[in-house]
Amino acid sequence: MSIVADLIEKPGVVAAGEYAYRGDRFSYRGALTEKYARMASIMCRATTMSANMESGMIASFRPNSGVQPVYGWMVRGPDYTVCVVANVFCLLDNEKGSVNHVFGFMRQALAHETMELI
Amino acid sequence: MAMLEQLVTLPGALASFEFRGSGELLAYTIKEPTILDLDTLDLLAHMCAANMSIATMQARGWEKMTAMKGFYPVGQFTLVGFDWSVVVSGVRREIKKKAGEDYLPPFVGVVIANQKADYEAAFKALEATGEAE
Repeated sequence: MSIVADLIEKPGVVAAGEYAYRGDRFSYRGALTEKYARMASIMCRATTMSANMESGMIASFRPNSGVQPVYGWMVRGPDYTVCVVANVFCLLDNEKGSVNHVFGFMRQALAHETMELI
Repeated sequence: MAMLEQLVTLPGALASFEFRGSGELLAYTIKEPTILDLDTLDLLAHMCAANMSIATMQARGWEKMTAMKGFYPVGQFTLVGFDWSVVVSGVRREIKKKAGEDYLPPFVGVVIANQKADYEAAFKALEATGEAE
């Protein structure tokens, strides 16, 4: 099974998807329309790219700072958290799911993903 | 300052800090100076301010377009780097906004080692900084 198929089975995950770093394709599962999944993919990709650029600036004047390569990021709202690792994202219900569990699973599943395409 | 001292008691905490919405570092506690220094923390504060603003805009737009609620206001932004993660929160500000106050307190953040990272505990500790005031 793909990581997206595995993720959507996790408690609290309402949608999950994957995007190409170059922005020309995406796939998803869960409670989103294709239009909104596309929008989510674009937002996640944009933030991933900028977070990598920003951490690159930190690493450039402080080598071995421990920030790069960036694994991912999260944005937590009152009811939902957006979790992103590499080029995979998911929307998690805060009440029904565990950020530690879901993000830990994503990190483990994507541990060998290369960041060269960023 | 007591709040920042309290935050660095989290398991794996390396530093805690406060910063303005425009990114300026206002106060900090560095527990592991061999890993994080003031220059790194200063740039990190600016980076987190930028990402909180962008995430807030995206959450607002997402809710308007999709009619899905529960993303706005953004409580925390987390960046997970190679060795450590930074978690920043605007919850204190949201509590003041809801109370109708004009003055908004700074954002607050904590840097934690990934090996010991408990993100839910960090969210809870950062949310408690708002409740304590």
